[in-house]
Amino acid sequence: MKKKFLSVLLAGAMVLSLAACGNSGESSDDSSAKTEEDGGGSEGGNKLTVWAWDQTFNIKAMEMAGEQYAKDHEGFELEVIETSSDDCQTKLTTCGNSGDYGTMADIVLMQDNSYQKFLKSYPDAFTDLTDCGINWDDFATLKQSYSMVDDKHYGVPYDNGVCAAFYRTDVLDEAGYKIEDLTDITWSEFIKIGEDVHKKTGKYLLTSESTGGDTIMLMIQSCGANFVNEDGEAFIVGNETAEKCIDLYTEMIEKDVVKLVNNWDEYIKTVTNGEAAGIVNGNWMNATLVGIEDQKGLWQITTLPKVDGVDTATNYANNGGSSWYITSNCQNVELAMDFLKSTFGSSTEFYDSILPATSGIACYLPAGESEVYNEPVEFYGGQPIYSTLVEYSSHIPEFTKTPYHYEARECVNTAIINITNGTSKEDALKEAQETLEFKMTE
Amino acid sequence: MGNCRQFPTFFIACFKEKGGLFVNSKKKGMTLIAKQKAAGWAFLTPATLMIAVMSFYPMVRAFIISLQTGTGANMRFAEPIFNNYKRMLADKVFKQSIGNTFFYLIIQVPIMLVLAILLAQLLNNRDLKLKGFFRTCVFLPCATSLVSYALIFRSLFAEDGLINTILVKLHILESGYNFLGNSASAKIVIIIALVWRWTGYNMVFYLSGLQNIEYSVYEAAKIDGANGWKTFWKITVPLLKPTIIMTFIMSINGTLQLFDESVNLTKGGPANSTITMSHYVYNTCFINVPNFGYASAMAFLIFIMVAVLAFINLKVGDTRD
Repeated sequence: MKKKFLSVLLAGAMVLSLAACGNSGESSDDSSAKTEEDGGGSEGGNKLTVWAWDQTFNIKAMEMAGEQYAKDHEGFELEVIETSSDDCQTKLTTCGNSGDYGTMADIVLMQDNSYQKFLKSYPDAFTDLTDCGINWDDFATLKQSYSMVDDKHYGVPYDNGVCAAFYRTDVLDEAGYKIEDLTDITWSEFIKIGEDVHKKTGKYLLTSESTGGDTIMLMIQSCGANFVNEDGEAFIVGNETAEKCIDLYTEMIEKDVVKLVNNWDEYIKTVTNGEAAGIVNGNWMNATLVGIEDQKGLWQITTLPKVDGVDTATNYANNGGSSWYITSNCQNVELAMDFLKSTFGSSTEFYDSILPATSGIACYLPAGESEVYNEPVEFYGGQPIYSTLVEYSSHIPEFTKTPYHYEARECVNTAIINITNGTSKEDALKEAQETLEFKMTE
Repeated sequence: MGNCRQFPTFFIACFKEKGGLFVNSKKKGMTLIAKQKAAGWAFLTPATLMIAVMSFYPMVRAFIISLQTGTGANMRFAEPIFNNYKRMLADKVFKQSIGNTFFYLIIQVPIMLVLAILLAQLLNNRDLKLKGFFRTCVFLPCATSLVSYALIFRSLFAEDGLINTILVKLHILESGYNFLGNSASAKIVIIIALVWRWTGYNMVFYLSGLQNIEYSVYEAAKIDGANGWKTFWKITVPLLKPTIIMTFIMSINGTLQLFDESVNLTKGGPANSTITMSHYVYNTCFINVPNFGYASAMAFLIFIMVAVLAFINLKVGDTRD
């Protein structure tokens, strides 16, 4: 009997203590929510809270910005709460739908591709930053346009999404190619080289996710086009540029130039295990690559291939950057605006200081001229990749944005898989067009 | 075992004692029965209130939202009022997700329940040694969280995962097969994962059901000359019927609401061939431009499906005339 009593007691103690853990977690959440509210006018408001993801990059940059701002502004306090990109969006969605933004932080980081969707869905959640004193011409027009509606600015551009083609020079060597052979080429030339590389080395010149992959999006956007027309309507059937991109992409799948993977982990794994001889994606891939010690010195970057037979095609694209917005829950909008303006919005000094610490490339154009950006990077065999990337970012063509970015991506990726599985191109594109049209209605 | 038997008696003794005290100390005004009734209500009220607030209110609210339309915060009532329900008929992806979910249901639930009943039968054997150990082993998968087990299955079935490595080493395959990149095999992987995760859970119900069947019934059958097969069908199954119906309802309910596996194992891909209804509802709210009205309508349809299937199940299992 004693044993039983003891075990019940122990189990009870465990459950209670665990419940207490949960409680303390919640209560700390509560208190942070409270401080957010207090952060407003009531206490003189010298504190700002921020939601951002990625300790080594976004969070670090934001914290450095806070330190710099605090030097000139006594009593200024900044609290960065690590929140994953998905969580930032889910929280915004829940707050938006309940109509209560009371739990949001003052400043939140947002994926550029999601901006239009949320600006359309929850216009109340954002603060108009147009007149906050930032000289918007200091940012590339394309980057600005992600967070703009009706000529109004809702985001301070931060993380640059400029794309580059990353190649393993040792694998190219083995197959008899040089990085110059892949610079400023077209996708069909890329396919030829890719086939050859796969034959000679068994490696893939490109990897991409089969569900939710970005490759097709950056291909079409490099032509200054999108899967929607200028009025924002679904535009897949009859869209020559789109068809060309889809043709090239399916050809790459069939010819083993691109390796399709099922998720992001596998995508990264193709790089770490050396299966990928090339990656075409946003410059933020850099953060992953430099972490692979044994591939140091083997990688180099160059321009993207461009789509054949399209007049507007370029070798440049943008994918997956992010920007800061001030939420409507912010009680001290002036402070938040001034903070963003004097750090992310106008300080080359600030950008110079965050580059070595975070290797994050700014969208702030004057920063690119700075010397720090011209320093050679050992990982890329001494290539000065930062200034190169900033240069690329000035060539990216503009294209029509749509709130239905993720829907379009899903529909087109589905069509591509269907085509490679034997559906006729015509049927697959028609279905993609219809599905996208359907999703755009209410 | 002796301890176990004593345990209830101990409790009953406690209750008797308490009851005794209770009667002695009772104040005048309320009879014992009225007091007991009041106590009953007092115990029921918190739970009832909680269910009403946490379950019934959201249900009603979800229904109201399902009649609304609009993206994000710009919600208004739909015109015609059942527009969201009509919209589902034209939604190819949703139809595909219904097809996928019922595919899982039809294949996975019978396999799992048959396996569970067989395992329960095996582990109920009186002469079996290390019974507790085996029972724990079969039940253990239920202790893992849905997300983590889905992630583990994902890496097991990856192109260079354990399964492929074994198949290649045994020379069954030449190179790794992309299980999750192929719609048929991806569905099979999800079914295998579900069977692994939930068989033990259902087995426990059967096991407790089996232990409620008096051994003397089996002895009598043996004396009458029934073989194992006959005993199983004529005694075990009829006496287990309530448990079987319950597990069926729970499995149908669980499978129709399948979410974690689709999200974490395959992301619904390739080309939506493994997406489940709940996953699509989630996408409509949180991945795509949020349309909570339409999402609620779909969620309500899932609710109706579960209710109808459970009702049919109960009717089929009802032996009263």
